[in-house]
Amino acid sequence: MKTIRQADIVIGCFLAVLGLFILYAASNIRLGVERALSPRFFPSAMGILIFVCGAGLAVKSWRFKGEDPKIHWPDRQGLIIVLVSLGLLAAYILFMKTLGLPVSTFLYVTASIWFLKPEKWIAAIVTGVLVGIISYAVFIRLLDLSFPVGSLLEGLLEGLEK
Amino acid sequence: MSFSFDHLIQGFATALSLQNILWALIGCFIGTLVGVLPGIGPASGIAILLPLTTVLPPTSAIIMMAAIYYGAMYGGSTTAIVVNIPGEASSVPTAIDGYEMAKQGKAGPALAICAISSFVAGTLGLIGLTFFAPLLADVAVVFGPPEYFALMFMALTLIISLSGRALLKGVISMALGLLTAMIGQDPLTGAARLTFGFPKLLAGVDFISVIVGLFAISEVMVNVESRITAISQKIGSWMPSWADIKQCIGPMLRSTGVGFFLGLLPGVTPSVTTFVAYDLEKRVSKTPERFGHGAIEGVAAPEGANNATSTAGFVPLFSFGIPTAPSMAVLLGGLMMYGLQPGPMLFKTNPEFVWAVIASMYIGNVMLIVLNLPLVGMWARICVIPFYILGPLIVFFSVLGTYSIRFLAYDVWVMTLFGVIGYFMRKFAYPIAPMVLATVIAQMMEMSLGQSMLMSQGSIFILFTRPISGAFMALAIASIIRGIWLQMRTHAPEVALEEVD
Repeated sequence: MKTIRQADIVIGCFLAVLGLFILYAASNIRLGVERALSPRFFPSAMGILIFVCGAGLAVKSWRFKGEDPKIHWPDRQGLIIVLVSLGLLAAYILFMKTLGLPVSTFLYVTASIWFLKPEKWIAAIVTGVLVGIISYAVFIRLLDLSFPVGSLLEGLLEGLEK
Repeated sequence: MSFSFDHLIQGFATALSLQNILWALIGCFIGTLVGVLPGIGPASGIAILLPLTTVLPPTSAIIMMAAIYYGAMYGGSTTAIVVNIPGEASSVPTAIDGYEMAKQGKAGPALAICAISSFVAGTLGLIGLTFFAPLLADVAVVFGPPEYFALMFMALTLIISLSGRALLKGVISMALGLLTAMIGQDPLTGAARLTFGFPKLLAGVDFISVIVGLFAISEVMVNVESRITAISQKIGSWMPSWADIKQCIGPMLRSTGVGFFLGLLPGVTPSVTTFVAYDLEKRVSKTPERFGHGAIEGVAAPEGANNATSTAGFVPLFSFGIPTAPSMAVLLGGLMMYGLQPGPMLFKTNPEFVWAVIASMYIGNVMLIVLNLPLVGMWARICVIPFYILGPLIVFFSVLGTYSIRFLAYDVWVMTLFGVIGYFMRKFAYPIAPMVLATVIAQMMEMSLGQSMLMSQGSIFILFTRPISGAFMALAIASIIRGIWLQMRTHAPEVALEEVD
């Protein structure tokens, strides 16, 4: 999909199918007690709207014959950066419970900065450590929010207390 | 309930408590920072911080959130002037003459006139808010469920019709937003809706995850892929001359009028009014040829309109409970989180709260000019923080904000998913604002339509037979017809306008 027109045709068709699927899913919603407005009403209406607009978009774009704006996709390196950044975010969420917020934050921030600018590895470590400490001191200790501390840090803090 | 000085003075008494002054100051500081930093706007900034403020009393929390919002309006112009990167669509007109001034070594006066113009427009806008909001709330007292549904419906149609040439995409964006809010348990029957057999989806989708994903995460994705770099400019002397200020008095006042009155309408966001104000100044100027080449009025006018519009947005929010822009939708969500239902009854049931917030905005405006004028150089330096450091920090705060909604990793996954959806919406030129607004007001819409149907024993005509709801529905239908007519007339591909945060 290099241009808006191409994208609109493909996504329009996808949305039309999605609309039908939502309509089907809405018809399976349990009705329960009788109400003036059925719990199926809004999902069904939105399913119909998405189907109509999706199909309309595809048809309109199919028939369009004018200047077609290009989509600004990233180059190969840009794509790798986006995918790795998303991967790092996914790892951050996955390991937050096990490692705890401070340690996972340190690892995420350090790895992200280091990946985006390898020559700035010292800045990466310093920022990672600082943000990790702030996440513990401010959000876990000061504001007392229920973020996971992580067994690693808990063990370390217990050892220090002893 | 009309305006009363007693209430306003009581509001000042609450807002001037040491605790509330402190939160307003913190809000102003964070807001300016949010405005200055590229890659994070007021809607995502407020959404990220909202769950973290649950440790505060409601008044202090909303005072801080409002301060972040109008603080961001002050800070938004810095990147536009110093590095020619308009952080938001509303800063585009400011960048035209502001960056030219910066290239001529006048970045300091340009930034200072922005702060002064924002202060003047913000204060005048607040006077408008103080008198208009209770007046409109008086009118809104007679509103029943049909009027509320019709008003929300009209707000959505206006926002869609103003999203550039992308009518179909605007409707799709809104429909997807409404659907997203319906995932989970039906609030009345408890029946599972659109969960597709996944028990985790029963928890529903929180609007904060949606907003942070759509705005903050997708913005980070767009910025890292293009590997943006900042170009620093010399700030030079930061004070504008008296002649500069005198030259800008007219533009400041005119832009305040334009920004405030247009800003009362749903969908008319600062990205619209700043262009209108800039264009108006160019038309009334005796030397229009200076515009685009560093005219100081070209900086003062859009900044004034920007702040007046953002203040005007509080009028429909407080008096009708209707958000006019994504940031207002987040604030509405914040009020609901604290069990406060914005609308006419807010002035009756919680006058101490609403007047304290309004009074705090006067104080915040003074704080902002004090904070912005002498610190212009510092803010300008902050906006050139390299993105390889800023990006991961924005993601960290986004994760922190969404996780603290319910302390579920599920919400952070939802945020990531909407980050990816937002990224593709930007690429395929879909407007984001209708989706955000629809997500926030979906439940209110469904509830008011349900109550309307109950009142009319199942007849949809109740929306058309009552005079006020009928008028709103007529306006909504007119806006749909106008949109369709524009679509048929302009044979152009569907491309949304640049998104406003």
